[in-house]
Amino acid sequence: MNNKEKEIFLRKRYSAEKRFRFFGISSIIIALSFLCILLINIFTNGLSAFSRTEILLKINFNEKKLGINSSSTDKEIKQANFDEVLQDALLSLAPNAPELKQAELMDLVSIDATTELKKFYLKNKDVLNKTAEVAVTLSDDIDQVHKGNFPRDIPEDRRRFSDFQLKIYDEQSSKNKIISEFNWPFIFNADSREPEIAGVGASLMGSFFTLIVCLLLSFPLGILAAIYLEEFAPKNKITEIIEVNVNNLAAVPSIVFGLLGLGVFLNYFYLPRSTPLVGGLVLALMTLPRIIIPCRAALKAVPPSIREGALALGASKVQTVMHNVVPLAMPGTLSGTIIGLSQALGETAPLLLIGMVAFINVVPSTPLDPSSVLPVQVYLWSESAERGFVEKTSATIIILIFFLAFMNSFAIYLRNKFEKKWS
Amino acid sequence: MKNQKIKISTKNLNVFYGAKQALFDVNLELEEKKVTALIGPSGCGKSTYIRCLNRMNDVIDICKVEGSIKIDGQEINKKDVDVNLLREKVGMVFQKPNPFPKSIYDNIAYGPRIHGLADNKNDLDQIVESSLKKAALWDEVKDRLNQPGTGLSGGQQQRLCIARTISINPEVILMDEPCSALDPIATAKIEELIDDLKKTYTIVIVTHSMSQAARVSQNTGFFHLGKILEFNLTEKIFKNPDNKLTQDYITGRFG
Repeated sequence: MNNKEKEIFLRKRYSAEKRFRFFGISSIIIALSFLCILLINIFTNGLSAFSRTEILLKINFNEKKLGINSSSTDKEIKQANFDEVLQDALLSLAPNAPELKQAELMDLVSIDATTELKKFYLKNKDVLNKTAEVAVTLSDDIDQVHKGNFPRDIPEDRRRFSDFQLKIYDEQSSKNKIISEFNWPFIFNADSREPEIAGVGASLMGSFFTLIVCLLLSFPLGILAAIYLEEFAPKNKITEIIEVNVNNLAAVPSIVFGLLGLGVFLNYFYLPRSTPLVGGLVLALMTLPRIIIPCRAALKAVPPSIREGALALGASKVQTVMHNVVPLAMPGTLSGTIIGLSQALGETAPLLLIGMVAFINVVPSTPLDPSSVLPVQVYLWSESAERGFVEKTSATIIILIFFLAFMNSFAIYLRNKFEKKWS
Repeated sequence: MKNQKIKISTKNLNVFYGAKQALFDVNLELEEKKVTALIGPSGCGKSTYIRCLNRMNDVIDICKVEGSIKIDGQEINKKDVDVNLLREKVGMVFQKPNPFPKSIYDNIAYGPRIHGLADNKNDLDQIVESSLKKAALWDEVKDRLNQPGTGLSGGQQQRLCIARTISINPEVILMDEPCSALDPIATAKIEELIDDLKKTYTIVIVTHSMSQAARVSQNTGFFHLGKILEFNLTEKIFKNPDNKLTQDYITGRFG
């Protein structure tokens, strides 16, 4: 090879290197841009759901209209009818409105408005027979207009609110009577048919209970199985078959576990339908191999010299494993478990089959109460027609992504922290 | 060699890894409170041999040990021998320092704890201190007993492992190339230590370093292809070996 040939050869090598770098960087950019599009889309759609729109109404808490007096008990107040005072306040927004339009005035506020008035009154009993300005949740249509999610220039017959309602809204808006607040009810309320008062509280609790059941079952079982298989089981045909099947189980489509849960837990053991208990059981089945596999890998990665060191000191097999091997394998196991759980948190299909797709309008207080979970809530709301549910769907995804990111970063944190400590 | 008490004796020791035979009829008698060095080219079976003495070969599924191994006249190559008690008596230090991922204190305290050698915290503190002193490590680590043992230097780690081994007061210490991963200064420290320990313990050391064998041992055995070719006083082996192969190996002509 003469000098010239060598130069060409070198140049080829360098250009091949450059090409490879270019392809590598471009694939990363493409992947990142997909992620960005997804996140931007979800956040632009969903962020507005974290605020809610209210109207300040002058309510006259007249004791005759309410049918209560200053000595009424809380129970009597709860049974009292606040519709009339609310109506009066709404009618006063457009005193000369014809009777036909009066119904439209009523529709400006949420159907939950009277309950809000009751709550306000229970807290401020001194307003009896006085007029007070109370913030009342607007209906979801006006809420969407206020957030700019609904174009107001389309013809009246093709939108869910009338020109008259729009005019009232604009009037109140210019008087600064329309206010925005952080949407706490979205976090704490259960699902509802009315978008303005629907919340993810029930599915948050449902997801929480489901994950707890799943963790309590799959973590000890998975770890014990992994430790036994890796450290104690003799290496023969049977353990080989078990090993292959654990790996197969991890690849089984999740909906199959749902069918199994339906067939076994619901139809055979008669466990309560739609509950986090059954959901957790099903997800535990699914998570089990996903814990066993990383746990075994972590055990395998513990250097044999540690085992020999303990055995040579006269430690028994169990002592060697429990005192010296398992602690070293813990970070890998824990991060594997957390990643398995975060997969379980995002799982939808198997839960549909065991009835966790039902419309649940109370927040569950135990794992035995019917409940929904976050991803199923996304599924349910994505099918709803009301404009208000569009932002709620995305907002629920934001909450879900938040928890997933939190759990996964915690897993990475655990891994880094413990690996550094002993290496 | 005449008036010495024999601590360990092996008769017709044969070891198989699956179908492959690693040791052939090894007959050796190791003296009490002496350092016996085992030398020989790689793969000659010297590590396999010392791993028989505390039954560490049990860990390897395919390994089969046949023949007689007696410590203080007691057969240990039998099914009903409790290996945990045997290993309490016969400690081992490995080629690569392998401190537990625990604090320096807990590394030493681990053995006494699992064997119930300390009645209270005071006893344990004392065992830890005396073990570290015997291993000539105390002065270097006494102020940081709670720091991880893995944070020490290689030579310190190996001395920690030696301290760990003597913490349970064994009678025999097996050393499998204890200095091969260490620098010359650390090696010198360990050799000094071995010299000191032989007053109390019977030591069997596998080594690749001729000079080390010459320096630390009283008796030397030369292994070749799974057989013991020559076993004698170290001085004799290094000055005037009987076997031609031993001579060649020691002078560096093969191996």
